[in-house]
Amino acid sequence: MSSASDVSFLSPRSATLLVAPLGALLILFFAYPLVLTVWQSFYEGGFTLRAYAELATSTLFYKVLRTTFVISLTATLVSLFIGYPVALHLSRQSPRRRTFYLMLVMLPFWTSILVKSFALTVLLGHSGIVNQALGFISGGTIQFPMVFNRFGAIVGMINYLLPFMILSVLGSLLAQDGNLARAAEVMGAGPFRIFRQVTLPLSMPGVIAGIIINFTLSIGMYITPALLGGRQDMMIANLIDFYTRQTLDWPMASAISVVLLLISGALVTILGRVRGGAGVMGVAS
Amino acid sequence: MTRPLRIAAVFFVPVVAWACYLFLLLPSVIVFPISFGTGGEFEFPPRALSLGLYQQFFTDAAWWGAMMQSLMIALMTALATTVLGLPAAYALQRARLSGAGLINGFIMGPLLVPVIVLGLGLYLQFAPWNLLNRDISLFLSHTMLAVPFMMISVGASLRHLDPTLENAALIMGASKPAIFFKVVLPQLKAGIAAGALFAFLISFDEVIVAYFVTGPETQTLPVKMYSAMRWELSPVIAAASTLVTVFSILLAIGIMMLQRKEEQR
Repeated sequence: MSSASDVSFLSPRSATLLVAPLGALLILFFAYPLVLTVWQSFYEGGFTLRAYAELATSTLFYKVLRTTFVISLTATLVSLFIGYPVALHLSRQSPRRRTFYLMLVMLPFWTSILVKSFALTVLLGHSGIVNQALGFISGGTIQFPMVFNRFGAIVGMINYLLPFMILSVLGSLLAQDGNLARAAEVMGAGPFRIFRQVTLPLSMPGVIAGIIINFTLSIGMYITPALLGGRQDMMIANLIDFYTRQTLDWPMASAISVVLLLISGALVTILGRVRGGAGVMGVAS
Repeated sequence: MTRPLRIAAVFFVPVVAWACYLFLLLPSVIVFPISFGTGGEFEFPPRALSLGLYQQFFTDAAWWGAMMQSLMIALMTALATTVLGLPAAYALQRARLSGAGLINGFIMGPLLVPVIVLGLGLYLQFAPWNLLNRDISLFLSHTMLAVPFMMISVGASLRHLDPTLENAALIMGASKPAIFFKVVLPQLKAGIAAGALFAFLISFDEVIVAYFVTGPETQTLPVKMYSAMRWELSPVIAAASTLVTVFSILLAIGIMMLQRKEEQR
């Protein structure tokens, strides 16, 4: 189908003209703001490394960085351990039923993160149904503080991240040739062994891609830690907002953004190297 | 393997899966009953049913004004991404451009950069131009953010297109613009519609960039909801959440149906 006539139907000249308006928009309102952020982090009336020097000695920055990594890693790993069995469940359904179950995964994916955060504050709150259920089971003795602390932030992030993990793993499970597992079964392997030696190793590209996607999304998260976390759970994005609006220190905000940009840039580059990474991006979006 | 272990293994996957579906769905569903409560305190199940929160939503200009603002910006974003994205997607598919891979990567860029970084960058850009708290800056920012979704959607339908039809039309003497409008466009309808709904939803739900570039006069519904949750804890949030959810789910179902239609071709 992709014959030579396919790609030479338009001349390079007219193609350039068709791409140009979009290119202009992205140069002006995507590339330029990024360049401006980098510039702002070095320029305060003259070239300076003040913002970076201040970052390097800021205990607040290190604390936030550590919090961000701990929360992101926890949320990513928990979503892997929940998401993997779910992907397995989806991969074993008939296409018809899979479409239905995927709807259950995708519909919340499309609802606003604000709505989900709000709902979680109600569900996990001190008189929310989770605590009510715990109280009912324990006869009124157990009540956990589950929101406006790290636990709440992590639950909220897992809720947001799970669909990305599920889709990523599902992709690599569906790509497997079912005959491999059948062959292993014929040769006498039990379900556990088939899983450990055939299914799991073959799904590793999806697992790794899912981990990188979830971690990258996590370290940039803003809304969930702000609404469900406590004061101690400020993450990088919240710190950027803090320097932009509270202290009006734009060079500091920019320098932190550059750090975040470098970390997520490195992660996206690794993702591109992982086999199937590009395909996953398409599915996830 | 012992019998209890085998039974546990058989049940483990479906139990985790169903618990997960519940965990994913519950937060989106629970706002419906809460929104029909009386609003003294967020509670589930509500003690008495009332439409009071909706009445407050639609009589308070700060709330429904924010909703109208969101709808307007989202509509403009959907139109702009279509007008800009469609020709670009077609050109990238039907011409041998040097650096096409690079251009494609650049167009997908807004998906890969943390939104908070773009929010700050646009804030730094619009502040000295005196464009903060203006519709135009929000509209341009959202168009930038939504473009990749239009490109993915239209790109997918373009790949299903048989180029021999275009060549046949060319041989029969049709001009290239005529071919685009009479041969290509009708076949892309589902992809374009899905892309436009995508773009609409991205803009309608977007909080972070809007939070950075809007002000009191240009506040969108998500920004209003965010500040209501952070500072006021107004019970109207429940009604706003329900309206947003109904809207998002309708759009999402529309997108999924259009995508399925596309796959079945």
